[in-house]
Amino acid sequence: MTEVLQLIISGAIQGMIYALIAFGYNLTFSTSKTINFSLGQIVMLGGVVGYILYIDMQTGHLKGLPFVVPLLGVLVIGTLAGALVHKTAVEPSLKFKSEYTWILATLAVGIIIKNGVEQLWSTGDYKMISPLGDEVIRIGGIGVYAQEILIVVVSLGIVCGVEMFKRRTIYGKAIQAVSEDKATASLMGIPEKFVITVSFMMSACIAAIAGLLVAPLTFVSASMGMVLGIKAYSVSIIGGLESGYGPLVGGLILGISETLTARYISTGYKEMPGFIILIVVILFKPNGLFGKKIIKKV
Amino acid sequence: MKKAELTGTQRTIKLLQLLLIIIPFTLPLWVQNEYYVHSMLGRIFIYTILVVSLDLVVGYIGDISIGHAGLFAVGAYTMGILNSTAAVNAGSTMQLFLEWPFMPALIVSVIVTGFFGFLLGFPSLRTSGPYLAVTTIAYGLIIYTFINEQEGLTNGTKGIQMAPLNFFGVNFNDNKFIWVVYPFLLLVMYLKTNLSKSFWGRAFEAIKFSNIAAESSGISKVRFKLTAFVMSACIAGLAGALFTHLDSYIAPNTFSLDFSILALMALIFGGVRSTFGNIIGMALVVILPDLFTWFKDYRLMVFGLLLLLTLFFLPNGLAGLLRKWFPKVFEEPKPIFTASDKSKIEFQMEKCVDGHIPLALDQVEMRFGGLVAVNKLDLKVQPGTIHGLMGPNGSGKSTTVNVITGLYNQTTGDVSAFGKSIGKLKPYERAQLGIARTFQNLQLFGDLTVLENVQVGLHKHYKSSFFAILLGLPSVKKEETGKQIEAYRLLEFVGLEHLANEQAKNLAYGQSRRLEIARAMALSPKLILLDEPAAGLTTSEIKEFNEIILKIKSAGIAVLLIEHHMDMMMEISDEITVLDFGKKIAEGIPSVVQKNPEVVKAYLGAEGALDA
Repeated sequence: MTEVLQLIISGAIQGMIYALIAFGYNLTFSTSKTINFSLGQIVMLGGVVGYILYIDMQTGHLKGLPFVVPLLGVLVIGTLAGALVHKTAVEPSLKFKSEYTWILATLAVGIIIKNGVEQLWSTGDYKMISPLGDEVIRIGGIGVYAQEILIVVVSLGIVCGVEMFKRRTIYGKAIQAVSEDKATASLMGIPEKFVITVSFMMSACIAAIAGLLVAPLTFVSASMGMVLGIKAYSVSIIGGLESGYGPLVGGLILGISETLTARYISTGYKEMPGFIILIVVILFKPNGLFGKKIIKKV
Repeated sequence: MKKAELTGTQRTIKLLQLLLIIIPFTLPLWVQNEYYVHSMLGRIFIYTILVVSLDLVVGYIGDISIGHAGLFAVGAYTMGILNSTAAVNAGSTMQLFLEWPFMPALIVSVIVTGFFGFLLGFPSLRTSGPYLAVTTIAYGLIIYTFINEQEGLTNGTKGIQMAPLNFFGVNFNDNKFIWVVYPFLLLVMYLKTNLSKSFWGRAFEAIKFSNIAAESSGISKVRFKLTAFVMSACIAGLAGALFTHLDSYIAPNTFSLDFSILALMALIFGGVRSTFGNIIGMALVVILPDLFTWFKDYRLMVFGLLLLLTLFFLPNGLAGLLRKWFPKVFEEPKPIFTASDKSKIEFQMEKCVDGHIPLALDQVEMRFGGLVAVNKLDLKVQPGTIHGLMGPNGSGKSTTVNVITGLYNQTTGDVSAFGKSIGKLKPYERAQLGIARTFQNLQLFGDLTVLENVQVGLHKHYKSSFFAILLGLPSVKKEETGKQIEAYRLLEFVGLEHLANEQAKNLAYGQSRRLEIARAMALSPKLILLDEPAAGLTTSEIKEFNEIILKIKSAGIAVLLIEHHMDMMMEISDEITVLDFGKKIAEGIPSVVQKNPEVVKAYLGAEGALDA
């Protein structure tokens, strides 16, 4: 019983990371109806930049800088990456009618980022040290790392904070107005282009923070982002791209299904249930578990 | 109809093309170097087959797939399991070696992959764009995981070694491999070209452009999308099966997500919907890293940049660029019509003579959540009449049309047409029964020509079988010519025949509205729904429109005219139903309805009604 509980807790923590990145996908979708397919690579950028600023690559020891430094570095790189993706990939794509232009354009930016990091930094795997140490905290037989608790707190904090911001403040209402109807929002004096750019920056910042958070649990490498990006995107779809808290539920489903499969079936298959759930959701609830139903107008 | 004569230059070009096609066949005879012919060219050919497969889904259907490496893998592994031998795989964990000969194994690989494509097709019916993209990724990754993990079946990460490829005692693993691969590439390209030029190709285009307009023209989205996915998968499976013998070895790493993306890149570089583009795109992707060694490490970055540049500056890829530079070489012959194609007799239309009521709504109610858009509506359209449906904005007119055409399913009540209940039929089935419609906000297929737009409307009259089309039989060409003439006559009916070969997106507003009518008439409908046909037209254009509508009526077709425009309505309708807030408030002949106080109130407001 403890084992199952432990697996569920570990899975839920993993799921929080997915949920956090998924929330990033939802943010840009709600304002611009586009998805940043390079978000996984921005997660990686967050991990890599955090590592560079926090740890000495040669020795693998701490550089001795306070954790605020990598945190700020990650926020800066996230903002820049978000702006870059929007300017170079999304904005020019919207002139074209077909949907695949922006899908491929953001995918291309992701490929460039990944290859760039490989060539300019390294292709190796590096161990990131958690600022909270690596002792296991035991609560009634269930062990978690301090870093994992941090992940849960930060993820929930960001998701709930941004959702509150969207629902309660006037700036948040502006974002919702743009997501409902760009043209009308623009007529009401909301700078819709600016709102969209900001949503891309916010989304990328969230992804970069997710990278920094997850780094101590995995290895830091140029290839750490792709799988995380895809899984988080699945979570987005399962929860519903248009839903605010949907990613949290989607993240829990995916994370827990992974740890349980890894333990009771085989580690090789641990990603399968997530993908199968994704396909089933697409087949039966194409707008996700918590998505709004769209009425097509003619 | 006149056949387009070839000019001297065009003949030379044809000859050069033929030469270009033949050259690869001769390569094994005079080139010794195996690296460039067997390895490079062979790779380009096989991968191009995969690009052709991807083009069917991305270029024609307009769905994005980032999972084609998975389908490629299914083909390769089916071939591997069926065709490989225990002898060359000594010491592997694989238990099953069927050791089939090449051809049967190849055919089964194609069929098996086709089945996987069928499964992939289902999500595409429910969703599109970014939703479908991730589904295809997931699909590819599921297959990838499976071949990695099922060691008993696939030998896992260690991969499968293939036995040498021998036919009649001759080994084909050297440059002669081209003779095995190249014919398949040509075959696939030939089939795809035939399909794309037929009514199937137009149906794909129609679905890509507007699901709703396609269904309203009698095209089943389900059937055509699934077929496209199955075909695409079959072709990908063929590529995969051939790939096994390229290096005589397959391992899961080849079939990763990166490979799906690489194939997509090749497709975009070359340009979608171009056979020639498919091959140059893939050639670029294979050759570039080989030409520049320094390039290898930065390969993906350069490809990423190239992809961005292509997307934004060459949306039709390299093939599009070449088409622009050498229009003569790539120009498709357009049909040329002569005076004899004009209808000598008055245009023949199917009449609704069977005496059944063309359309009857029985207590139809349509709810969206709490909102009642149409409230217990009864409506009957009499044969051979123009029935007007009017009402202020938001009164439920368009919802009514969408219920009649099957875009929405009514919450309660029933719709029947020609004496049969149609309330549960799909939109395309209603269209095939003989209910045609036009759209308030135009839904033309912009990239198709005016003539082709009407041909989409003729869809249900095409009789050629799928296989006849693939093979390009003469009967198919004959049917196509016949239908082109039919379409031309329909254009004549609305006065657009001089614009037959123009792209629909270049039409003026009023012309687009006429084209919508021609396309609807192409269905040979017994009932036609005109959804605000006069919106945005000038007074003189409205007059011409009235004439067209009256001509439709005189052919015996029942018309349901949805309109705002009072004058037009009063002038040509035989009977009018007025809606307000989803409820019928008046019905009868125009002169009576016009004076109905309820109607005046709905249109002018309560105070306006007092003044009137």
